[in-house]
Amino acid sequence: MKLLALDCAQRLCAVALYDAGSGEVLARLDPEIGRGHAERLPALVDEVLAEAGVAFADIDRIAVTIGPGSFAGIRVGVAFARGLALALKIPAVGVSGLYAMAGPCARDAGLPVMATIDARRDRIWAAVVGPDGATLAEPAELTAVAAAELASRIPAVIVGDAAPLVLAEDASLSIMSGGPFADIAEVARIGAELDPAVSAAEPAYLRAPDAKPQAGFAVERLKA
Amino acid sequence: MTHPETSIRGPETTILGIETSCDETAASVVLRRPDGTGDILSSVVFSQLEEHAAYGGVVPEIAARAHVSVLDSLVAAALSDAGRTLDDMDAIAATSGPGLIGGLMVGLMTAKALAQVTGKPLYAVNHLEGHALTARLTDNLDFPYLLLLVSGGHTQIALVRGVDEYERWGTTIDDALGEAFDKTAKLLGLPYPGGPAVEKAAGGGDPKRFRLPVPLKGTPDPDFSFSGLKTAVRQLAEAQAPVSDQTICDICASFQRAVCLSLADRLDIAFSRFSERFPATADRALVIAGGVAANKALRSTLAEAAEKHGFRLVAPPLELCTDNAAMIAWAAAERRAAGIEGDPLDTAPRSRWPLDRQAETVVGSGKRGAKV
Repeated sequence: MKLLALDCAQRLCAVALYDAGSGEVLARLDPEIGRGHAERLPALVDEVLAEAGVAFADIDRIAVTIGPGSFAGIRVGVAFARGLALALKIPAVGVSGLYAMAGPCARDAGLPVMATIDARRDRIWAAVVGPDGATLAEPAELTAVAAAELASRIPAVIVGDAAPLVLAEDASLSIMSGGPFADIAEVARIGAELDPAVSAAEPAYLRAPDAKPQAGFAVERLKA
Repeated sequence: MTHPETSIRGPETTILGIETSCDETAASVVLRRPDGTGDILSSVVFSQLEEHAAYGGVVPEIAARAHVSVLDSLVAAALSDAGRTLDDMDAIAATSGPGLIGGLMVGLMTAKALAQVTGKPLYAVNHLEGHALTARLTDNLDFPYLLLLVSGGHTQIALVRGVDEYERWGTTIDDALGEAFDKTAKLLGLPYPGGPAVEKAAGGGDPKRFRLPVPLKGTPDPDFSFSGLKTAVRQLAEAQAPVSDQTICDICASFQRAVCLSLADRLDIAFSRFSERFPATADRALVIAGGVAANKALRSTLAEAAEKHGFRLVAPPLELCTDNAAMIAWAAAERRAAGIEGDPLDTAPRSRWPLDRQAETVVGSGKRGAKV
């Protein structure tokens, strides 16, 4: 199975072509662009396909990160992935960027790893993966205190840009270098294992839209 | 006088269109024949009205989330309704602006993916151009003609001289007309969306009970302004509080009357300008578009004003006046027939994108330039 993996949810605009049969990444590009994923992504896909020597028609599956991260970036990746899937009549699966960040670190370290992203507003997006790739804690939006408790309970080593925030709550925790972004090869490896019927390419923002029902001013009405 | 653009022939084209600029997710397949006539082979629209109702207006993040969750299945439905496949398309078109950036991004990325896989050209279409050219699909209208676009996001008068040849003659310097209806409704405790609610209340009211200011009356350019009127409505309602149901109806009727008088006054300028500019054009037409064009009082005002100046009012069916994807596919078909090539896959969506590329910033419209 040939799988095209995409990630636009954070600062990277990442594309990889993965051959699940051999477990080889045939080509990958993951420039750190910060913004402008909508403009860059199509050309990066062309470059990766050319380098891998693979045509669109040879692709069997799309995998895309569904968050957490930039809401707009998540949608750029997911909309593009679903468009590709529609045109190619193949499935698109969604992968949490946190799993793709924690996975390689956990394997390397032989320990459970908690991947973190600073979600601002005093919140952290976090998930924990075991050394065998098993999910030990699903992606969630947590306070630094809750993240520290979770890491201590498992226990898990912390990676990602919110690691210092978690460490500040509990100095006994350990952090390691890793992240701060999803690894596109890991997105591909995870995506190849998922069941498309269960893991659709549907955004997982981990945060509700910033909107409040408007009470607003309305003029006083005469009681009937 | 026949404008050269009216005789565009071009090959027969079938185009898939996508629209996601506000709170409707839409996909459509449209056919354009070499003689300039066209057919809508399919048009599906998923309205997010309910998602936004509690907020009294469109919430951009909620809209963007809804678009990405349904767009691919709407595209599939549009193709299947049309009895066509992607391979049958000659081009893929998506609204690329103006509008809410989150939604535009979803539509444009989906279109880019479809275009990249199939190798078909991508057309990044201006939403306003879609509204501007719809009457050529529905009524085979020849250039030039006048366009009045009145919706929740836009209020403008434009000259449509040809494909890609537009002159914006007037625009709002503050609120869009649909916005003014929504705000009036909210102030009076009427439901969202405000347009139908205010119109319904106005139907039972006395339009002459209250005298509200007619915005910009007598100014030389056909621009619009509704924020002063909104303030006047608020002051009036507060002065009348607590308001009875009848007073609410009377305020709505008076508001609607002021709006109609303003539109008629603004259009007077545009009609005269058009007639001076194109004295030889016998069939003079005013095309109306946008959701506010559904308002019946407004329509009869416009019909009256048009008739007075020897114009006929062309009102496409309501489903083509409000946001839809058929107009986007059609605009791309017209562009293609006029020999305009598609857009590169690194095209970025634009939240602001005046129809008229030379449009000057309108004073009072904020530092980012004219509302478009």
